[in-house]
Amino acid sequence: MKYLSEYRDPKVARGLISRIAETATRRWVLMEVCGGQTHTIVKQGLDELLEGAVEMIHGPGCPVCVTPLEQIDKALHLASRPDVIFTSFGDMLRVPGSECDLLQVRARGGQVRVVYSPLDALELAQRNPDRQVVFFAVGFETTAPANAMAVWRAKELGVRNFSVLVSHVTVPPAMVALLESPDNRVQGFLAAGHVCTIMGWSEYEPIAAKYKVPIVVTGFEPVDILEGIYLAVRQLEEGRHEVENQYVRSVRREGTVPARNLVEQVFQLVDRKWRGIGEIPRSGLGLRAEYADFDAEIRFGLGAIEQEEPTECRAGDVLRGVLKPVQCPAFGTICTPEHPLGAPMVSSEGACAAYYNYGRFRKAQPAGATT
Amino acid sequence: MTSVKLAAGLVCPVPANAPDRVQLGHGSGGKLSAALLQERFLPGFGNPVLAALGDAAVMDVAGVELAISTDSFVVSPLEFPGGDIGSLSVHGTVNDLAMMGARPVGLSAGYILEEGLPFERLDRIIASMAAAARAVPVPIVTGDTKVVERGKADGLYINTTGLGVRLPGAAPAPDRAQAGDAILVSGPIGRHGMAIMAAREGMAFESSIESDSAALWPLVQPLLEQFGAEVHALRDPTRGGVASALNEIAAASEVGMVLEEGAIPIPGPVAAGCEMLGLDPLYVANEGVFLALLPRRLAVRALALLRSHPLGAGAAIIGRVVTTHPKFVILETGLGGTRIVDTLPGDQLPRIC
Amino acid sequence: MCLGIPGRIVEMHDDAGLAMGTVDFGGVRREVCLQYVAGQVKPEDYVVVHVGFAISRVDEVEARRTFNVLKEMSRLDELDWIGEVADQSLNQLGGAGGSA
Repeated sequence: MKYLSEYRDPKVARGLISRIAETATRRWVLMEVCGGQTHTIVKQGLDELLEGAVEMIHGPGCPVCVTPLEQIDKALHLASRPDVIFTSFGDMLRVPGSECDLLQVRARGGQVRVVYSPLDALELAQRNPDRQVVFFAVGFETTAPANAMAVWRAKELGVRNFSVLVSHVTVPPAMVALLESPDNRVQGFLAAGHVCTIMGWSEYEPIAAKYKVPIVVTGFEPVDILEGIYLAVRQLEEGRHEVENQYVRSVRREGTVPARNLVEQVFQLVDRKWRGIGEIPRSGLGLRAEYADFDAEIRFGLGAIEQEEPTECRAGDVLRGVLKPVQCPAFGTICTPEHPLGAPMVSSEGACAAYYNYGRFRKAQPAGATT
Repeated sequence: MTSVKLAAGLVCPVPANAPDRVQLGHGSGGKLSAALLQERFLPGFGNPVLAALGDAAVMDVAGVELAISTDSFVVSPLEFPGGDIGSLSVHGTVNDLAMMGARPVGLSAGYILEEGLPFERLDRIIASMAAAARAVPVPIVTGDTKVVERGKADGLYINTTGLGVRLPGAAPAPDRAQAGDAILVSGPIGRHGMAIMAAREGMAFESSIESDSAALWPLVQPLLEQFGAEVHALRDPTRGGVASALNEIAAASEVGMVLEEGAIPIPGPVAAGCEMLGLDPLYVANEGVFLALLPRRLAVRALALLRSHPLGAGAAIIGRVVTTHPKFVILETGLGGTRIVDTLPGDQLPRIC
Repeated sequence: MCLGIPGRIVEMHDDAGLAMGTVDFGGVRREVCLQYVAGQVKPEDYVVVHVGFAISRVDEVEARRTFNVLKEMSRLDELDWIGEVADQSLNQLGGAGGSA
């Protein structure tokens, strides 16, 4: 596939690995923010191949993993209602709520459907006028324009049986929260290439300057990630801390302006709780008052609730990058993809699932070797 | 676990770790399916023939090795690019017999029809099934029909049971893989699952992908006639894909396996569809390819034999069986890294992340 | 957030005011909303698609330029390696006084 396959070229990748090894005079600690980047790193064994030069810490860039327990529980409630068809991206279906998950709600008779695009959910609403269709609007800034368009279009076309359960989060506040944390070891970042495709990179300039960390906007294929790592290491060796763009084929400094504009029109910044991290002010998106009619929490009267995570689940430490999944006592023993304690073990982007499904068997716990 | 108190008072009383009822994932060929078999069915029916868990059961009856296999077909939509539930129900059971080295001698067909199914559609499916059976050839010698109320059975469910006679000298079985074996696949993977996915509401996309649904006995027979008992294991990677099938053999034979990413044949549109939906082709269902494990020194000749047949034109050697990491299937990537190819808990889900 | 793949615009049309198009991803095609790149794209252009929306136009010129730099870098590494191996062989031949 053009503009995809070339970025998996083994020769080019090996060339970059050599460059990184030659350039690094010490072992630097980098964080890739996005779950898709974690996926590639573990799937291709890149961190194994970069062992001496770079330590990769996996960041909280998995919107599925950071969706707070309360929002999952609200989703489960809505999905259980007989008058509701609950639609969602596939990622969310196995994420455990307090008691069960969307797949089990489906087994109980709830109408749960996977869709590829929020516009598919809107279409479903138009085709089923006698049911309520709720869409689980989860994601980072990359997905916000798509979800915004679905809501905007629903209002424009007067599709009254459509609503969204919103759980959007934004990246920069989370990066700042990590950098402010006393146990932070991260010296440089690979910023999320598709988030920056929408948003551009200007928001990261003050962060790079204040905390003196290089931030390289990076794509998702092995060559992209290796080039991003190379640029970050080069900056660290040269004592620079700037925002650089590796993902030039998709990212421009101003981002995709019409997308940002519609997001601004439909959503507003709100305080948001991140599962495992806690509340980060102005780190989430919620619907503006003019679109309140399409807010499922208002339409179905879901009040504010607080939830406790199971104590064995160390998702928070994993998401903050202070604990590697294999170091968690529950990993592979009481917490596995079939019976996960927390979202990072379920979501295909979660660090724990990535390690479990793709990880090196010789690092796995003995008990995790059999099922 | 704390109870959830929401405005409308729903409480989900069962903890996530112990589902109390059947889920869709139990039919996906992954870990949940295996658990269902091990924890619920086997304890009830336990006997040595069943416990072998081959694609078909082999029994010595008056000195003749007979194979029996049964399969139920619940695919939706009933008709899809490259096939339909009728031809699929013939191919699926004939292939299960073939995987145990048995020539099919007769099929039974049980139908569960939904009230309201148009005859026009039923007739097309019957015609397709008859054509598929004649092509093998295997007669459909007995059957049964039931009708259920509107709203059940998705239009039509079919069960086929096949009886076969094992080729003398052939003994492929999931527990016979050995270190030093090569792993061959008879053709490109991922076609059936993606053809079905392309037709699914909410996921639909346009493609030229057609199901690979086909009877494999015409390709398996010459392989067994030439190599006999040296063909250690055969498996058709249906639900759960190549990953699940190889993991089952690795577990039964207590061996490790290493696959080479670059050697696995995946048609361009299948790869593209998987990229778009975030799916891994190794877990996508196939209905017209099989995996063969045989000694490495025979691999090149076996490959040539497969490739000389139209059904095996895309055959390839994709990996090897090893003594290290028993029961683990490892993939070597083009970059020189490695990763584990494990079975999934349930169905593979499309993702956005 | 992450899963965005590049595809080629095959045709473009308007769906009740919304810019839509058919995009080809290496052999499979899907309807994609082009509203966010409307005015910037035409058929045969490549776009990055996430959940059924084009989020950017692929800058093919930049992509080619930067990729060529990388390929050159990896080729130079290979030439270096070939050079090293050649040097080693020549040294060995000289030291052992071996045949040419």
